Amino acid sequence: MGRFIVRRLLWMFLVLFVVSLITFLLMHGVPGGPFDSEKALPAEIKKNLEAKYHLNEPLWRQYLFYLYDVTVPRVTTEKPSTSLLDSYLIEAKLGNVYFRWMNFGPSYASKTRTVNDIFRDNLPISFQLGILAVIFALAIGVPLGVLAALRQNTWVDYLTMGVAIFGVSVPAIVLAPILVALFAVELRWLPATGWGAKPPFLLGFIPANLAPDFFRYALLPAIALGMAGSAVFARLTRASLLQVIREDFIRTARAKGLAERTVIVRHALRNALIPVTTIIGPYFAAVVTGTFVIELIFGIPGLGRYFVTSVTNRDYPVIMGTILLYAFVLVIANVVVDIVYAFLDPRIRVQ
Amino acid sequence: MNKLSIAIIGVLLTIVVVACAAPATQPPPQPPAPTSPPQIIKETVVIQGTPQVVEKVVTATPEPPKPTEAPKRPNIVRVNFGVGDVPTLDPNVAEDTSSITVIDNSNIGLTRLDEVTNELYPGMAESWDVSADGKTYTFKIRDGIAWVKWNGNEVVKVQTCPDQDGKTKDRTVTAKDFEYGILRALKPETASPYAYVLGFVLEGANDYNSGTITDTAKVGVKAIDDKTLEVKFLEDTAYNSMIMGLWTAYATPQWVIEGDDCNEARGERWIEPGFYQSYGPYTLKEWVHDTSLDMVKNPFWPGIKGIPQPKVDQVHFTMLDESPAMAEFEAGNLDAVGVPSGDLDRVKADANLSKLLKVAPVLCTYYAGYNTKAKFVENVHIRRALSYAIDRQGLIDNVLKGGQIPAGYFARPGIVAAPNPKDYPDLGAKFDKAKAKEELELGLKDLGITADKLDITYMFNTSSGHQKIAEFFQQQWKENLGIDVKLTNQEWKVFLETIKSKDTPQIWRLGWCLDYPDANNFTREVMAVNGSSNPAENGMPYGGINWKNDKFEELVKQASVEKDVKKRTDLYAQAEQILNVEDPAIIPVYWYSRNTVTQPWVKRTFSVGGHEFFYNWEVGQ
Repeated sequence: MGRFIVRRLLWMFLVLFVVSLITFLLMHGVPGGPFDSEKALPAEIKKNLEAKYHLNEPLWRQYLFYLYDVTVPRVTTEKPSTSLLDSYLIEAKLGNVYFRWMNFGPSYASKTRTVNDIFRDNLPISFQLGILAVIFALAIGVPLGVLAALRQNTWVDYLTMGVAIFGVSVPAIVLAPILVALFAVELRWLPATGWGAKPPFLLGFIPANLAPDFFRYALLPAIALGMAGSAVFARLTRASLLQVIREDFIRTARAKGLAERTVIVRHALRNALIPVTTIIGPYFAAVVTGTFVIELIFGIPGLGRYFVTSVTNRDYPVIMGTILLYAFVLVIANVVVDIVYAFLDPRIRVQ
Repeated sequence: MNKLSIAIIGVLLTIVVVACAAPATQPPPQPPAPTSPPQIIKETVVIQGTPQVVEKVVTATPEPPKPTEAPKRPNIVRVNFGVGDVPTLDPNVAEDTSSITVIDNSNIGLTRLDEVTNELYPGMAESWDVSADGKTYTFKIRDGIAWVKWNGNEVVKVQTCPDQDGKTKDRTVTAKDFEYGILRALKPETASPYAYVLGFVLEGANDYNSGTITDTAKVGVKAIDDKTLEVKFLEDTAYNSMIMGLWTAYATPQWVIEGDDCNEARGERWIEPGFYQSYGPYTLKEWVHDTSLDMVKNPFWPGIKGIPQPKVDQVHFTMLDESPAMAEFEAGNLDAVGVPSGDLDRVKADANLSKLLKVAPVLCTYYAGYNTKAKFVENVHIRRALSYAIDRQGLIDNVLKGGQIPAGYFARPGIVAAPNPKDYPDLGAKFDKAKAKEELELGLKDLGITADKLDITYMFNTSSGHQKIAEFFQQQWKENLGIDVKLTNQEWKVFLETIKSKDTPQIWRLGWCLDYPDANNFTREVMAVNGSSNPAENGMPYGGINWKNDKFEELVKQASVEKDVKKRTDLYAQAEQILNVEDPAIIPVYWYSRNTVTQPWVKRTFSVGGHEFFYNWEVGQ
């Protein structure tokens, strides 16, 4: 197992390197630059801006600078400068030695923040929302799927799958405004916009104050975001469980005289959850790194918007940062999924 | 290596990597699936604006919840900034509306313009003397205006570093602070986008900003003593004193930015809460990035003519998209918001909301530019025909519906020296079907072709709003001239590069909003050779409107140095007649307006610049 994880992590570095190179080339290959605007800036002003952010260097040097800033730790006794170009994600001070690592660069669109600031302040909020949405999707989806499979071709099955079809086909962009209009504007039970936690966060991502207010803000967006996922999980659980129930080892388990409950929970469901686990990886990565639509409609200060605005603004460091972060979370999530496989299915462990 | 080949290599690499990495890892990740393009968001507007939702919403509005009504209403105003963080609070580098809103409420320039009439009055300079040649201004700085900051509990006066006896005193705004701010804005390393406006007018400023000279003594700004600031201008223009009131030229606290004996240098991060220092009617209290920002009243602001002590204790800004903001307004949680265009019909039809709605002018112009050297539209008659053939009022009534004003020319009325339609009723291009047809015939005769041979393309940036306007143009040209114009669109940044390149399409759209309210900022700075929409190399235009009219150049130059406002207005009127009618380079379309709803208990002003001045607001009961 240890060797397996190490090998996967080594692969991860290669993947991140290649993703960074492709993203870098694509974003510089697209016409238009960060300082083009409706009001054309005079040439000297543009030159000053480009010099400030080292955009006047040849592309290959810019890329090497970026790699160097992100990967190579700095150990120095000098006091760090206050420049936004000199901001590191990990900073520590031992005696009079400063250890600093991972500089993802400044945001061009915001003149006062760095990509690190965005990671620190916005990512945790998307993460909190994403975790709640994943929990909602699993808590609703898996039991419904099991229920539908066990009561196959009864009204329970039809109803559950009907609801699932509805969940898949009604996108968040439709569901979210309806939830707001109903529960926030009409009934006024819940707030229409906002998020119940703000930086700084415990351990970097846990809300400092888990008051009921936090859940009042989180309820509607988590439902809107998790709805589609719960429908997918329900359909997948049902299909997969129906297949497993017909396997020989289930017949054997029943023949041994095990209680039906034990047969389903310990033998059938455990195997049926393998396909579900497979899609949780990418689903998790997509949801916890922020979702544009939900965050916009509910006015949540998450990371999702930055995936879109960074591209439209040609905010190069933010594009690089968000894409690399997404790649990182995706790879990690998949490694975790592989480890979970091993617990669900002993045959995989042997391999 | 050109950009196309870089892109191709990128794509090829993607394929290679997918092929290599597939067995052991996931394919290279795509941006997350749920991120839909922004246009789709517009549709939520429509969804929220469906009549069914509306009627329910309305019943909720007339009676705000009782509990907030019974006790005294808190003296706070809650408004929305629009989605996205405030980019900066640093006066010397700010360039956008949200940033400038906070900056202009918490700092005051040497001069200040009235937010509605654009009348100029003294700001931090209580008076100034102008030399005989009109190029040297000596500003006298107001006495005893304190630098303040929010210390976590209250607004306090900033203290100087302790002297030998350990005593401190209040820091007041001095001429040196202004000198520092102006030089900082011009410093090339600051990379301030608006430095060029100062560069246009101040002696030596452009050379310093572009790095040609490094000696700040050669820049025409000098603090003679704490109370006297001497500023040398390049020319004796009518707008010199106006530009000295621009936020880019505000005083900034050197001791926080660069540090001194008792302050740690904060560099570009001096604007964070707890460190931000200002001296105007408000100051920064709290700023939760991407979420909200709070300004609090500065009790030490003495109140001067035009800039009174604020009546509202605190201003709370949210950062919501316009549709969620409208929902919060209707839920009673915001005091003033812009109405999303999709909600306008509903708001107008609603008995209560319509009473809260107000249409206010915004000093911006929507226009379409011609590449005057491009095929077919190089002919002046064709250009006139296309401009006359558009029914601007029809566009506003049927498509925009937001109370915009049909534009006959470029300089937005309401700014200094811009002609007003009341005084110049015949100025500019107007919808006239007969005249359009006539000009088309003349043009076709010149070109020696028939109408069906005309091959004209109109380009806009990808957005449903601009698409609707483009389709309206297309239909008008078909109906009124019988010609088919092709529509094409590009993503915003790609578009901006295209319309300012050598391959500028025949017709393209753009808008312009004021930097400072003078016709010079419109007619000259945008349309003259080397202007914002007329890029040139060695005095020869190559893109944008691609236009050089010697008489126009002469007129706008003359207008910039003329002192008499009436004569200036006349000169701009002549220049506009050339720009829009005689040798048209643009199709003026409309002058902007904005639609705002405000809760009945808020007494407010509507700034024509688009950013509000809360010291003129009041909260009633």
